[in-house]
Amino acid sequence: MIAVTGLTKQYGGRTVVDDVSFTLEPGTVTGFLGPNGAGKTTTMRMVAGLVPPTAGTALVHGRPYPALPNPGAVLGTLLDAAAVHPGRTGRTHLRLIADALGVPASRVDEVLELVDLTSAGGRRIRGYSLGMRQRLGIAAALLADPPVLMFDEPANGLDPEGIRWMRSLLRDHAARGGTVLLSSHLLGEVEHTVDRLLVIGGGRIVADGPVASLLGADGVAVAAADVGALARALTAAGLEVAPGSDGGLVVAGATTAEVGAVAAAGGHVLTDLRPLQRGLEDVFFSLTAA
Amino acid sequence: MTAAVLPAPRPVPARRTSASLPAQVGLEVRKSLSTRSGVALVAAAALLAPTAMGVAVASDTEYLASATGPVVVTGMLSALVLLALGVLSTAGEWTHGSVQTTYLLEPRRSRVLTAKALAVAALGAAVAATAALLSSGVLAVLEPGLPFAGRAVLVVAVAGAVFALVGAGVGAALGNTPGALTGVYLLNLGVLPLLQVFKPALADSIDPGNAVLELAEGSEQVQSVTVLAVWTAVALVAGAVMTRRRAVQ
Repeated sequence: MIAVTGLTKQYGGRTVVDDVSFTLEPGTVTGFLGPNGAGKTTTMRMVAGLVPPTAGTALVHGRPYPALPNPGAVLGTLLDAAAVHPGRTGRTHLRLIADALGVPASRVDEVLELVDLTSAGGRRIRGYSLGMRQRLGIAAALLADPPVLMFDEPANGLDPEGIRWMRSLLRDHAARGGTVLLSSHLLGEVEHTVDRLLVIGGGRIVADGPVASLLGADGVAVAAADVGALARALTAAGLEVAPGSDGGLVVAGATTAEVGAVAAAGGHVLTDLRPLQRGLEDVFFSLTAA
Repeated sequence: MTAAVLPAPRPVPARRTSASLPAQVGLEVRKSLSTRSGVALVAAAALLAPTAMGVAVASDTEYLASATGPVVVTGMLSALVLLALGVLSTAGEWTHGSVQTTYLLEPRRSRVLTAKALAVAALGAAVAATAALLSSGVLAVLEPGLPFAGRAVLVVAVAGAVFALVGAGVGAALGNTPGALTGVYLLNLGVLPLLQVFKPALADSIDPGNAVLELAEGSEQVQSVTVLAVWTAVALVAGAVMTRRRAVQ
C-alpha cells in the first residue's frame, strides 16, 4: 500500500508537485497520467526516497521508504531504464541487486526468463535496445517479488507484444493482492490496464477515481425512426436535447432509462440508445488543459 | 516472453533486513571489479609500479643504497592510478545514473558512502601492496643484495588506501566522473608541482606524495600521518555532505 499526503516539491520558487495526496490499496492497478512536466516522475521519486519532499509524506506499507528494513523487497521500482552501468552484463547487474536484496541467485535466471532476456543476459547492457533495458528494469523490480510495484513509463520502447505482456504482468500482480502504480503517456495502454486513474496537471491531482467513472456517461445518444418527434417529446419531458452526429440526438445529463421511458410512453421507435462515453484522451486533455 | 506471465505464486525468500555493512562492502568491491574499466584500472595499478621499477633500474648505472625510495616512488604511480578507482566507485554511479539503483536498495546514503569508502580502501591497499611487492621482486632480480623494504611496502599499501579514499570522496562530492578525475589529477600533477616550484616549504607540508615518502623513511611521522589524514577527511566529509544533499534525478 502507498499513502501519499500533501506531497509538495519546490525547486527555488517553482512548485513542481503541489499538495498531492492519494492512497493506493492492494489488489489495484492505478494509472498515473499527466503531460510532460506535470510532476509524475518527481512524485514517484519522492515516494522512493530519491528526492526529498519540501512538504508532506509518502508512506509505503506504513513507513517512509528509507525507513523500510529492506525497501527493495517491498517496493519494486522502474524509474529510469537507462540508469544502469552500461559496462556490466544484464546478469551481473541483476546478481548484484539480488545479493543486495538477499534473494537467491537462482531467482536471477527466473526473472531473466520471465522478461525473455535469458539469451541476452551475458551481454553488456550498452548493447541492449531501449526495450531490452526496459525489460531488464522490470526484471530487477520483480527480483524479490515485492508486494508493491511502481513503474514510470514502463511501456517505452516495448513492442506491441511486450506491452501486452507487461499489461498481463501488472494485472496478474494486482490479482495476487499486489499494489501497482503505473505512469504512462500511452493513454490507450493505461485505459486497458488500470482500475483507477490519478490525473496530474501542473503538479496537482486534477482527477482521481475509477476509470469507469472518469470515462462515464455525461449524457445519452439516441436515434429514432422519427427524430423530430422524439426530440419534441424529450424537450416536453424537460430534458436538454441537442443534435448529435449521424442524425441522432444527444440528451445531456440524462440516463438511458429516462430517455427510454419517454420514448416508450410516446410510442417512438428507437434505432439507437446508449450512454455517451468520453474517450480517455478527451478526459485527459480536458483535465490537464490548464 | 512467456504467455503465462508470472509463474506459480511461490514466495521469493528475500532478506527481512537490509544487507549488513560487511556484505555491502563486499558488494561494492564486486561492483568495482564487475566492469572492464574497473578491472583495467586495478591491473594497471598493480603492474605500473613493477614496470616502472624495471625500466628505472635497468637504465640506471649506479647501485642503489636502499630499496625504500624506489619502492615508494614507483608505488606512488600505482597510488595515482587508484585515485581513479576511487572516483569511479562514487562519481561513476552518478554519471551513469546507476546511483538510483544503489539508493533504492539502500536509502541510507551515509551507509552507502561508508561501504564504498571501506571497499575502495581495502581494494586500494591490496592493489598497492601487490604493486609494491612486485616492484620489490623486480628490484631483487635486477639489484640482488638489497634488503627487502617491508616498511616501504606497508606504507605504499597505506598510500593506495588513502589515494583511493581521496578519489572516492572527491567523486562523491562532485558527482561527475570527468570533473572529479580532472580535479584530482590537476591538483596532484599540476597544482602541487607548481607549488613545489614557487613555495617549496608549503608544498612539502601538504603534498601527500611527500608525506608517503617521509612516512616510509621514518622521518616527520606525525606530520606525514596528519597530512594523509587531512586529505582523506576533507575529501570524505565533502563527499558525505554533497551526497546527502543531492537529489537523484
